[in-house]
Amino acid sequence: MPPFRLVWKNLLRHRTRALLTAASLAVAIFLLCVLRSLLVVLESGIKASASNRLIVQSSVSLFVYLPESYEAKLERIEGVERVVRWNWFGGYYQEPKNFFAQFATDVEDLFEVYPEIELVEGSQEDFFGDRRACVIGSEMARKFNMRVGDTMPVIGGLFPRTDGQPWDFRIAGIYHSVKPNVDNNTLFFHADFLQKALESGAANGPEGVGIFVLRLEPGADRVRVAETVDALFAGGPQRTQTTTEAEFQAQFVSMVGNVPFFVGSIGGGVLIAILLATLNTMLMAAREQTRDIGVLKALGFRDGTVFGLMLGQSMLLTGVGGMGGLLIALSSEQFFAQLLGTAFPGYHIAAETVVEAVIATLLIGVLAGIVPALRARKLSVLTALRSVG
Amino acid sequence: MALIPLSYNLRSLIVRWPSTILTVLGIAATVAVLVGVMALQQGFTSLFRAQGRDDVAVFLRQGATNEGDSAFTRERAMILMKTVPEIAEDEAGRRLVSAECYLAVRRNKTGGGGETNVPVRGVMPMSFVIFGRDITFSQGRNFTPGTDEVIIGAKLAERIEGARLGEVLQFNTTPFRVVGIFEHDGPFSSEIWGDHDRISEALERPVYNRVIAKLKDETDWPELVRRMDQDPQVPSKLLTEREYLTSQTSAFSFVLSALGVFLAVIMGIAAVFTATNTMLTAIAARTIEIGILLSMGFRPHAVFLGFMLEALLLGIMGGIVGALIVLPLNGIQTGAMNFQTFTEVAFAFRVTPQILFGAIVFAAMLGILGGAIPAWRAARMRPTEAMRRG
Repeated sequence: MPPFRLVWKNLLRHRTRALLTAASLAVAIFLLCVLRSLLVVLESGIKASASNRLIVQSSVSLFVYLPESYEAKLERIEGVERVVRWNWFGGYYQEPKNFFAQFATDVEDLFEVYPEIELVEGSQEDFFGDRRACVIGSEMARKFNMRVGDTMPVIGGLFPRTDGQPWDFRIAGIYHSVKPNVDNNTLFFHADFLQKALESGAANGPEGVGIFVLRLEPGADRVRVAETVDALFAGGPQRTQTTTEAEFQAQFVSMVGNVPFFVGSIGGGVLIAILLATLNTMLMAAREQTRDIGVLKALGFRDGTVFGLMLGQSMLLTGVGGMGGLLIALSSEQFFAQLLGTAFPGYHIAAETVVEAVIATLLIGVLAGIVPALRARKLSVLTALRSVG
Repeated sequence: MALIPLSYNLRSLIVRWPSTILTVLGIAATVAVLVGVMALQQGFTSLFRAQGRDDVAVFLRQGATNEGDSAFTRERAMILMKTVPEIAEDEAGRRLVSAECYLAVRRNKTGGGGETNVPVRGVMPMSFVIFGRDITFSQGRNFTPGTDEVIIGAKLAERIEGARLGEVLQFNTTPFRVVGIFEHDGPFSSEIWGDHDRISEALERPVYNRVIAKLKDETDWPELVRRMDQDPQVPSKLLTEREYLTSQTSAFSFVLSALGVFLAVIMGIAAVFTATNTMLTAIAARTIEIGILLSMGFRPHAVFLGFMLEALLLGIMGGIVGALIVLPLNGIQTGAMNFQTFTEVAFAFRVTPQILFGAIVFAAMLGILGGAIPAWRAARMRPTEAMRRG
């Protein structure tokens, strides 16, 4: 019966050394989890995109508006079930750094086209009936301490009011999105409220529609519908670019830069540095235990057992360190989620991240322990007993 | 007080080179990451801040946070251009003022990297007079006013498709021919410039986004800012071009700095643990030597200082190695999306002496933190025990 307790005892012989190695491993794994989670957040918006929605935007620029007349034409295209418009409002609450998204939209169609947006407080009828009403995300309601019935004054950045006052919206509902592609930090209000204000001269700003979101009929061919839309408007007045929702989200992510590469290279560097450190510890341990291995073999324990004991020490050490790092990452999840609230909404440690952390830990354990373990296996009894220190 | 000779520490480091290298690499990796991220941040901010002109005033619509938000109708822009008395004139008596329209348009990146947003600026001929020698042409010539020609900033020309001399860029339904590539040390080298009338028409934006002007030397700046803010006809927000550019970079710059600090701290902690580990092992292996030193008459604090010095040396070496690893990045062109303006900006990594100095100081600190405990242990050894144990 292999003396498993030796694995444990040998590590504890040099408590400080083992602790420090495990600690640096914990820090490294923690960092990897955080970096990986940032990546996951960026990708999650893309992954959760609906497959039955298309986004129609100007092919020239994100900031160019499409004529309103396009809406009727889009509804008539075969395969399109509903059309809803989204206009980026570009305002802020109290200070420019309180940044969040606001959209003017066709409210009656909004919930149909986006079933993942669910009202947790307030009612749709109330929202539809009052032109000055708005709904806000649950995260935003929490952050600014707002409730149904409160007024939310939004200072118009892109659409300033001519009287210099903020836009006052009455909160008719608070929504919660069950999927990460719509965050809980957005304000939606009536598009015709904005339009009437522009027409009457109460506000200034670009006319037209920012993007149209198309909800497709079940079984419609996305590619064909997208091509039809772009062909329809190829002659102008504004050429369009129609993409799936996933591609639309991806366009924002790719604009941030080559994040996967950046994260990957830092992660790789950290892993290599930690591997070297752990390997060093294991080699030192092996050197010290040369005599003991000789004794074990003389007593009759097999080469394979000795190999296992050595590798076991490495795996135990890295296992403790890795799990420690994972625990730190998990317990700090809430902290980071709040810290990165608006920039990286929905920060969380995904199951894949945990799996990757475990794999990285196991890999380091094996790689750091294999050389000492093989050496221990091949060690002849006489050489081992004869060695000094 | 006799200090342990430096040669002892130095030679120990050389003799036990595997541990030395391990510790140095750990610290070097941390320093490399820190310097890399800070070089990115410096490259980005210096592009904007250093090149912003103090003598060029930028008029934006009141309440606008950037050019994209700001809009002046033609009439209002004309009023600003013609009536503000502080605007300087050149020798020929022309007012040094220009109105520009601005839009971020989609272009494909070269090499199939996807799409990006690129700033297009419609300018009047006066813009070139105002910026004078800041803008020079490396290829081709300037565009002819009133025609469908454009010029492209040199940095951008390499990063997007269809931007070389003689090629044609299409904006909406109108084709524009690239007739020149220009150099600018600041953000304009990531922009496409064309005639304001033709660009507004092609993009269907009949408004101007900003008015720029050179002001007379004796202008009372605070008074002018206040007056324009309360102007009844065209209330505007007034900034120097430098202030404007600085405001456009603050968010991204902050994010990069925060990222750099975060990574440095986390990796630093791991590096310190590794350093302490290796030094503890080194001390354990050198127990006999320490015993000899102590019994020779060196006081404990000399031993402590000696080992702290060794740790400091390790830190500094780690810092230098880390800096050397990242130094080749200096000057390498890269690009990023400035999410404040939502446009692609091309800039180069910039490793400044301050960054290097700060990084090496940081590395030295890591070394000292890592060496504190081992040095303490070494100093507390009793000579007889030490010589017996080894």
